[in-house]
Amino acid sequence: MPPSPPHPAPAPQDASGPEHARGGLLGRWAVRLVEMAGRPALTVLDGIEDVGRAVRIGGMGLANIAIPPVRLRLTIRQMEFIGVQSLPIIVLTSAFTGAVFTLQSHRAFALFGAEGMVGGTVGVALTRELGPTLTGLLVAGRAGSAMAAEIGSMRVSEQIDALEAMAVDPINYLVKPRMVAAMLVLPMLTALFDMVGVLGSWFVGTQVMGLSEPEFWVRLGEWVDWDDVWSGLFKAWIFGIIIGSVACYKGYYTAGGAKGVGIATTTAVVVSSVAILVSNFFIAWALP
Amino acid sequence: MTAPPDAAGAGCRDPVTGEPSGIVFDDVHKAFGRHHILRGLDLRVPRGKLTVLIGRSGTGKSVTIKHVMGLLRPDTGRIWVGDDELSRMDDRRLQKVRLRFGMVFQHAALFDSMDVFENVAFPLREHTRMAEGAIRDKVRGLLAQVGLHDAEDKYPSELSGGMRKRVGLARALVRDPEFLLYDEPTTGLDPILAAAMDKLIHDTQQAHPQLTSLVISHDMAAVLKIADKISMLYEGRIAHEGTADFFRNHDDPLVKQFLTGSLDGPMKV
Ligand SMILES: Nc1ncnc2c1ncn2[C@@H]1O[C@H](COP(=O)(O)OP(=O)(O)OP(=O)(O)O)[C@@H](O)[C@H]1O
Ligand SMILES: [Mg+2]
Repeated sequence: MPPSPPHPAPAPQDASGPEHARGGLLGRWAVRLVEMAGRPALTVLDGIEDVGRAVRIGGMGLANIAIPPVRLRLTIRQMEFIGVQSLPIIVLTSAFTGAVFTLQSHRAFALFGAEGMVGGTVGVALTRELGPTLTGLLVAGRAGSAMAAEIGSMRVSEQIDALEAMAVDPINYLVKPRMVAAMLVLPMLTALFDMVGVLGSWFVGTQVMGLSEPEFWVRLGEWVDWDDVWSGLFKAWIFGIIIGSVACYKGYYTAGGAKGVGIATTTAVVVSSVAILVSNFFIAWALP
Repeated sequence: MTAPPDAAGAGCRDPVTGEPSGIVFDDVHKAFGRHHILRGLDLRVPRGKLTVLIGRSGTGKSVTIKHVMGLLRPDTGRIWVGDDELSRMDDRRLQKVRLRFGMVFQHAALFDSMDVFENVAFPLREHTRMAEGAIRDKVRGLLAQVGLHDAEDKYPSELSGGMRKRVGLARALVRDPEFLLYDEPTTGLDPILAAAMDKLIHDTQQAHPQLTSLVISHDMAAVLKIADKISMLYEGRIAHEGTADFFRNHDDPLVKQFLTGSLDGPMKV
């Protein structure tokens, strides 16, 4: 986004009294209003260009799956980085998410004596929404930012030029393994999120709130379909593609030294998080 | 592919050295936004010789060298590498041309996720099916040649600037390229390391008589010692070209000023 124009200089004070001053103030407010209204419009346009470029980079990375070499080792290393190293944060977050959701829904359902619905409600919410979305946001913050920073610093230190100079396609070498890894790992992490989340819910439901085992499990088994699970995992797969594309794109187009790498890192997290939340709505709408 | 015209293409001989041209720029223009960097650049790099491109900071020397490898594309004008014309080449053919090059980057551009050995071995692993033992021999030989036999396991962040550049040279040489490009190999090194690097460049050229080298440098004393041909870039074109002797004895105020590093002259700070 272009830097916003400097604020209009305050009108030179003259002797004509308060009316004039108020006119100047109104004018300034009008300018501010237009500026503020214009800013989202610019941001949207900016965002569309972003989307186009991210889709291009991500798409090229995925298309490169068909182009040798396979880059198995690099892919496994990325899966380790995105997946294995995210395990603690995923386990912790999912356990507490399941726990707090159970606590609150138990309170609400208790108002009309329907505590038995807690297990099923939590199960559906976790598998369909909370699992994939929170996993996506966590991975975007942890791994997406690191990916953008790594590729960005390779850009500004001319390592990407060096790859090209050595006749190695940077898309094939850098983007493909990250796209594939993110795409594969996100559903796995989501499945884990779902399972640990249910365990957290079970603990609070049965051990803290005093539900019996059947009360908790029966509705959960009745309400949660494989469809719910699949739709959650499908979303996670899409979120993996979003995180990979946005991080690689932001890193790839980094300019301006260390500061540029910082900007690429933060914008990668912001853009992919927003993209996850927005696309989540549309996928939920389109899926049964 | 169109045949190169007599005046410019790869067929012609270089007037300074009498050798056939390995790399030719014909009326190349390049602008970044409003900055017109190359303004009708005509450059000839003779085969089997060491050519040095001199010029002030920011005149577009790095931009020129990036055009040679197709990392940047000219706005107008043509560039030949041997008999291949780059400007209209698609990416796959360009990759083939790049395989004939080695490049030493201004700031080395080593991969910081790999140790020194893996950095130097990288082009072999990517483009050949050499056995691990052969790769090891080749890489160790080159590291010894650049005086870094004991740095194999270090990571780029653990190396000094001079060591990085030498690793960069080893990496550029590892596939026995036809063309070798150096972007300011001695800038930022202390005088002794710089002299060692100049000697390394000179020895490399002597050891590979077929090698066509293009060096970017500011260091006039060294340039006059090692260059077979010197081209001077000024305001987006070659202002002067000739042998070291030609430059030493030249009266042109531009050349004089650059050689002596004087503040008075046509170039203003
Ligand atoms: N990718 C780019 N985008 C925009 N401007 C660029 C780009 N690359 C180079 N320039 C500009 O082109 C000019 C020449 O840059 P170049 O790096 O070729 O200089 P140089 O002759 O190598 O200088 P030095 O001796 O300091 O390395 C500079 O003004 C630089 O800002
Ligand atoms: Mg330069």
